Amino acid sequence: MNDVLDEMQNLVKQASSTARGVSIIKRRAKNPNKPAAAWTTQARIGTETGTALSIVLSTEGCAHARSSDGGCTMCSYLLDGTSMNPTSDEFLNQFQEAMKKLENATSPLSVKIYTSGSFLDTDEIPIEARNLILTEIANDERIKEVVLESRPEYVQDSNLEEVRSRLGDRAIELAMGLESSSDQIRSLCINKNFDFATFKGAVEIGKKYGIGTRAYILLKPPFLTERDALLDAQKTISDAIDAGATTVSLNPVNVQSNTLVESLWKTQRYRPPWLWTVVEVLQYAHDAAKGSVKVVCDPAAAGKTRGTHNCGKCDQSIISAVRQFSLTQNIHAFDGLKCECRDLWNHCLTHEDVSLLVHR
Amino acid sequence: MEMKKMAEFRVGRGHDGPARVGEYIMNDVAFETPILISPEISRANPLHYMTLGRDPTRQRPMISTIPFTMKLDELVKAEPNDSDSILLPSMISFSSLSADAGTLLLRHQIEFINSVKDTIDPSRLIIRVPENIDFEVFESYLHDFHSMGIRAAAFTFDGLLGSVDTESIHLRSALPASWLSTALGKITPSMVPFLFYTGFDIIDCGYSIEAAVTGTRLWRNDSERIEQGAFHRFCSCIHCVSFSDDSNSKLIETLQNHNLDVYNEILSESIHAMKNGRLRWLVESMTHVSPNHASLLRQVDKQSYSFLEEFTPTTGTDVVPLIGPESYNSPVVRRYREYLEARYTPPSGKRIVLLLPCSAKKPYSDSKSHRRFLETIESALGRTVGSVAQVILTSPLGVVPRELERIFPAANYDIPVTGDWDAEETELGAEALIHYLDKIDSESTVVAHVSGGYLGIVKSAESKVSQSIIYTTPETSATSWESRQALHETLVDLKNVLQLKDTPPRQLEEIVRATADFQFGSGAGDMLVPENAKLGGKPYRQIVCRIEKEQVCSFIASSGSISLTLNGAKLLAPLNRYWVRLDAPQVKGGSIFAVGIKKADSEIRPGDEVIILNNEEQVIAVGKSEMSGREMCELPRGRAVSIRHKMEG
Repeated sequence: MNDVLDEMQNLVKQASSTARGVSIIKRRAKNPNKPAAAWTTQARIGTETGTALSIVLSTEGCAHARSSDGGCTMCSYLLDGTSMNPTSDEFLNQFQEAMKKLENATSPLSVKIYTSGSFLDTDEIPIEARNLILTEIANDERIKEVVLESRPEYVQDSNLEEVRSRLGDRAIELAMGLESSSDQIRSLCINKNFDFATFKGAVEIGKKYGIGTRAYILLKPPFLTERDALLDAQKTISDAIDAGATTVSLNPVNVQSNTLVESLWKTQRYRPPWLWTVVEVLQYAHDAAKGSVKVVCDPAAAGKTRGTHNCGKCDQSIISAVRQFSLTQNIHAFDGLKCECRDLWNHCLTHEDVSLLVHR
Repeated sequence: MEMKKMAEFRVGRGHDGPARVGEYIMNDVAFETPILISPEISRANPLHYMTLGRDPTRQRPMISTIPFTMKLDELVKAEPNDSDSILLPSMISFSSLSADAGTLLLRHQIEFINSVKDTIDPSRLIIRVPENIDFEVFESYLHDFHSMGIRAAAFTFDGLLGSVDTESIHLRSALPASWLSTALGKITPSMVPFLFYTGFDIIDCGYSIEAAVTGTRLWRNDSERIEQGAFHRFCSCIHCVSFSDDSNSKLIETLQNHNLDVYNEILSESIHAMKNGRLRWLVESMTHVSPNHASLLRQVDKQSYSFLEEFTPTTGTDVVPLIGPESYNSPVVRRYREYLEARYTPPSGKRIVLLLPCSAKKPYSDSKSHRRFLETIESALGRTVGSVAQVILTSPLGVVPRELERIFPAANYDIPVTGDWDAEETELGAEALIHYLDKIDSESTVVAHVSGGYLGIVKSAESKVSQSIIYTTPETSATSWESRQALHETLVDLKNVLQLKDTPPRQLEEIVRATADFQFGSGAGDMLVPENAKLGGKPYRQIVCRIEKEQVCSFIASSGSISLTLNGAKLLAPLNRYWVRLDAPQVKGGSIFAVGIKKADSEIRPGDEVIILNNEEQVIAVGKSEMSGREMCELPRGRAVSIRHKMEG
């Protein structure tokens, strides 16, 4: 049976590459001294509320997405990057540019560094650049929490030891896109190109240095029914918590340009997850977390046709409940949510499984 | 050892296109097909589906789904009911990736079957047919599935009535006749007759619930949004008696029950129509629900004609209404035109071909207008009347030679008569006329006693025929007194110019020969009615044909067809057509069942006169087919032939 599944996976790889198309080549060279994006939000940092800065460094992009493997079926963050890889000094400039947003902020601060790839991949971020940035953070006493994004295969004793020694006793989390704990779904539906064992290995390395794991969990990759997706996200959350994740972040798929998901979506063969599904999964996650693991969700394009959405009438109230819950971890944020579209969602859960027709 | 539980589909008696009635037996519970299937079980909908490990199981047999991601040990844990039928795992949307993707999904199912066949009998498994798969590739996979013991398939419909739905119907036509066929997805009530017609036995009515929860009341042809205070249609159903649009929970239940009843109504209407030979008419009548309904039928007529035709009976005593353009290529109509072109030979010795307009009353010669035409012809030609071939122009059959006017569907069709013909009808008519005149001596004279639309046919054929054409009175109606006078004069002139000799009418012979050719293929007429044959009887009742005092066949006017005797069958046997070979030396009882048939001519359609051969190639019986030749070979049971005459052993 594995032969067939392998062939199916190859088809997905090809289709991912095809969907990516010439979009990588067409990427423009961007100002190497400016980050791709930077924004601040209110966030829970330790037991206090503070300000979190999210930085997306402008890099050459994720090695997996650039490779002949085609990248992940739902992701085009690669396109946020630049076609020319910046120098270490330019990376530092990007970081400092972003930090300006925290000029007047007071402690505690949280800094999250995303690259649309892997912060620990030295082909993407040279060691020199990484160390310059980590030193900058180390010199800022207000920063109490640091989140670094990476694929698990770049997580090693050597680089985590370095990270820990530079950042002192700050809370550190590795942000890794586990997406699904099912190897079949992660390879066949997402084309993620690593297995659960690799993820667990990376979590274990992190534990050695007191570095926690923020596990990104993908809600509704392509080729799953709504209920497949719901159940897989729930199972993945339990598995991630068992593996030692310190935060689970639920990411409902949003339809990004030049992805396999987008090509399916355009021909009515994909629908982003219902907000009801998001709520259902978060409620489950809250139970599974038993108060010791943080559960967050900041859905992209929520309420829009390309993002997680319901009927349109109830979307805003549910989105704000999701945000409220992420900030407070209070499950009562979901109390009283109600809409007539919930029956339709219920019907979709059963009928899509049987008919294998995408319910829009 | 415990007997493994099985499922079996039994095709019942009767045909109207690929539609069939039958029984789906799941372990020991039999469900009559066609049947609706839904997620909810109720009195009106006894069959339902669920997903293993996700929905509650029930004691009643149902169709359960295996999620693609379910592992074998999880399947065992989910404990499928041992009378359930099981939909094999497949991956949603995956087959749209490429032409190979669907093939991979089928291969995955084959491997799955191999891994469960020791615990689940393959007769209980239902393959899922992916979209976007090549027809021939699918056929070869079907062969593998069939040899593994699979006997059921499910297809997905997206309800858009576009390429996905057309493709599902096309792929369905590849299934062996014995397989159960299931339609899943978004299926509105207006699709039910069409899916039944194209051979689906289980039809998903899950959309009844989707509609109900979105405040939609379904009707046969369309739907109605229920909004508070708005206008609502009158409904007499028991659920809607207490209908009110202000209580939401009650409303959904009311709508759900109402919607389910609409599905049941249209399905039972479809079954009734099939039993009366009017299913095609019902399907055609529903093409006006939406342009997509019409284009779907036209696409399927084009793409899957041979599939539709193969199961369409060749006899029928009822009226065949042919109302709109959807009828031009309906199986009975197109088959008539094709048989006429391929099989019909005009009688010899004709020097004049007289083209006449059709009449509303059938057969034509029973109509007032044709009785007058016949009087005119006889009074003009007298004893030379046998040298005229009469041909009736009509839409959408094209041309009907006088000697075939009682054949099905020429004697049965009913069209709206306005005299105006559209371009397609004119073209079909002209083509048929050209083919007909191709078979006529080019020295013959064609007399066109037609006007209006009929005239259009002749005019557009004229440049492509070799005979010269004389028009009688193209300006006025063919039935008027002046026109008939003109016809009279034309025929009298021709009689003199052509110096016609006395040619007595040979009407009986011409009818039997032409009918035999049409029914059994070219050459059959000469074999059944050689020069020494003696014919007796009346064209409007029965014509009996004898050779040396032995009856070989008779023409039955009411059905327009020929019944063979054993002697007649022996005469026809060398033609090597319409034969059914048995595994036995002789026929027992009044019927032959599919199980006893070794092989049958693939040209056989339900309603055909067939010749039964034994295992030594001897003619042992004649009878009427109850199914198509392919079904005789593929079905494991069921009545295949009703015997008319057999060798007494």
